[in-house]
Amino acid sequence: MKLDDFLEIWCVDFEFGAPPGERPQSVCVVAHELRSGKRLRLWQDELQRLEMPPYGIDGRCLFVAYYASAELGCHLSLGWPLPVHILDLYVEFRNLTNGQKLLCGRSLLGALAYYGFPSVGVDEKEEMRALALRGGPWTEPEQAALLDYCETDVRAVATLYRHMEPTLDLPRALLRGRYMAAAARIESVGVPIDLKSLSLLREHWIGIQDDLVTIVDAEYRVYEGRSFRRANFERWLGEHNIPWPRYASGELILKEETFRDIARQYPVLEPLRQLRASLSQLRLSDLSVGSDGRNRCLLSVFSAKTGRNQPSTSHFIFGPAAWLRSLIRPRPGFGVAYVDWSQQEFGIAAYLSRDPAMVEAYESGDPYLTFAVQAGAAPSDAIKASHGPVREQFKACALAVQYGMGAEALAARIGQPKVYGRELLRLHRQTYPRFWSWSDAAVQFALMTGRIHTVFGWTVHIGPDPNPRSLRNFPMQANGAEMLRLACCLATERGIAVCAPIHDALLIETPLDRLDEAVATTQQVMDEASAAVLGGSRLRSELKLVRYPERYVDERGAVMWSTVWNILNKIKQGP
Amino acid sequence: MKQAEKQFADETLVSSSQAPSDVGKEPFDLAKLRLSQDFETAVGSSKVLTTIPVRKPDPQAWFRVHPDDAFRMETAVLEHREDREIYLVERSLWNDLQSEIVPKVLYTTITRQGNLSIWSVRMPASDGRLDNWNRSAQQAAREAMKGWVRMASNRDLGAYDLFVPKAHFPDPNWPSMTFEEILRIAFRDHFIQDMDHLVIKKLQGRQ
Repeated sequence: MKLDDFLEIWCVDFEFGAPPGERPQSVCVVAHELRSGKRLRLWQDELQRLEMPPYGIDGRCLFVAYYASAELGCHLSLGWPLPVHILDLYVEFRNLTNGQKLLCGRSLLGALAYYGFPSVGVDEKEEMRALALRGGPWTEPEQAALLDYCETDVRAVATLYRHMEPTLDLPRALLRGRYMAAAARIESVGVPIDLKSLSLLREHWIGIQDDLVTIVDAEYRVYEGRSFRRANFERWLGEHNIPWPRYASGELILKEETFRDIARQYPVLEPLRQLRASLSQLRLSDLSVGSDGRNRCLLSVFSAKTGRNQPSTSHFIFGPAAWLRSLIRPRPGFGVAYVDWSQQEFGIAAYLSRDPAMVEAYESGDPYLTFAVQAGAAPSDAIKASHGPVREQFKACALAVQYGMGAEALAARIGQPKVYGRELLRLHRQTYPRFWSWSDAAVQFALMTGRIHTVFGWTVHIGPDPNPRSLRNFPMQANGAEMLRLACCLATERGIAVCAPIHDALLIETPLDRLDEAVATTQQVMDEASAAVLGGSRLRSELKLVRYPERYVDERGAVMWSTVWNILNKIKQGP
Repeated sequence: MKQAEKQFADETLVSSSQAPSDVGKEPFDLAKLRLSQDFETAVGSSKVLTTIPVRKPDPQAWFRVHPDDAFRMETAVLEHREDREIYLVERSLWNDLQSEIVPKVLYTTITRQGNLSIWSVRMPASDGRLDNWNRSAQQAAREAMKGWVRMASNRDLGAYDLFVPKAHFPDPNWPSMTFEEILRIAFRDHFIQDMDHLVIKKLQGRQ
């Protein structure tokens, strides 16, 4: 597929308003067709009368935009079909410059500046955005100003397209554009939220926090009011003989990830960790929930260097503390399913490196225990129940390798001296030599060529001070991202209502009488996506079903959710 | 109410206004688009050994000695005590340096981490005498040709203690190098080929 094949190339931009959690409401659209020079300017009243877009969207036409999921979201809100071929210049600019430091950022203005083109000023852009977001009615001069501003962006997109055209990697660019359609559909569907429970939580959150501290902190006596006191925590650690990492200054490292690591080894710390996270990070008002009870937010597609989505941790229901996910509840008559790939990164590493022992471990169904057996640390008839602790250590090791963790960090994670970490990593190298040879070559490839890519061309460019651990991790993470994107495309195109993509999983919603069918389709597309990325090898998937009136439960947050609701019920009953 | 919203409110399976008519037809030839992840072929390189230390095995490391005769050599070395370095000496210089050199066997060793080293162990004198340190070291080298061992000095005994593992360790993967190549790396700048070598000059008070 070449650009010459397209009869029409439409550069399109919408102005729209989108209050938090709501679908975008179109204000106006401007579209320029690059071959004929045809130009369209339509205000919202004209748009709402149209059943179809005023520009071509069939297989002979190319739809070009900058961050197209916004434009495509407007299509969905207007009830219009989506274009067959989408070229997103944001995604392509991001791919061309991924890993580089950009002085002017990744916005349309930043991309124009990168190529040395003048553009509309930031101040003017902000002013016009504010005018669109303000909502109607707009005066005639305001309408003209918004349309003019919208046209300025379309011209900018056209300029960018002409400049980037020689560097575009078609049809892979269109494959990435295809994902923007999936993202728009997903953002439009949103995650079903129990609005009543959320309202109660928001209303009483301050009182809940006080009681949470009283209840949870009774075991620790670390808090004074709502303040976490380091000195009290240090005393508690000493009393319970729990070692804790410190800075060179001797001060305790109290990062969330440190808390999470140590709480894994000492589960007694988990309630305190969750309390701390809930009090310090949770701003319930930031959660973007629309009037229809759907959590919708920008997925921030292709935002990570690996190409993974990076939605806002405060706006997205899967961002804040795990207990809050129990707000996810299907509508009456509906169910939701959380379908995730089993040990996705281990499987990707095994099949892409073609390490036979690693493939055998993945296909055993329990790669971590099989790794322990292969390394001689467990007998061949070992099972999870008989060798749980050994399995946990080898699991930590396998995950550590995927994240490029060193012996010291691994040792800290499993609560053992450094020598254990070093020995586990040595066993991994010894058990999976083919994988290591491939992984070493991936790092060498990146350093030699200045970049490394996924199976479908997502690329990171190596800067002057590359991090070898990130490079080693890139093939697993970035190909995992490819897999998820493709699964999102296939699922949404086959009519599955995908509520959210979550790292290596899809959350879908469907009427209860079609739940089995939808789950089967979702697992089928995830199977196909893994085969496409892994050259025919397939990853297994697992699922968790929730039928109305049940609510979604993340096991890590079940106790906290229950504690919060006990408090809330007491508050509602009054003194 | 907009069409998309109507459809969403309907208890349908579809997520958008677009009810796909060609479900299952993949518009992209994904197999054709797939870029290779075979970085080894693309890089076309393999690990190159640039350093092979000449030293006694670490007392805490399990090691093996290459069992092939072609990977050891009886020779003479010069031990420069000042900088604790070992120099290989060209055979033609042995007569001139009799008082400085010692007869040694050079063994090729490898650790569980796959690191190579050269281990030099003193040979018996012409009268067959050998102290307990070197006798126990020679014994350790013979044992290490058959299996993994660890060797630590025992000052009270005046000899090395030898340990064998309780667990079974797989045999090492010896790198595909000749002994000559190994020696060339190990003694790259520690090979005395003439009497004007700086170390000889220093020992003889010429510098």
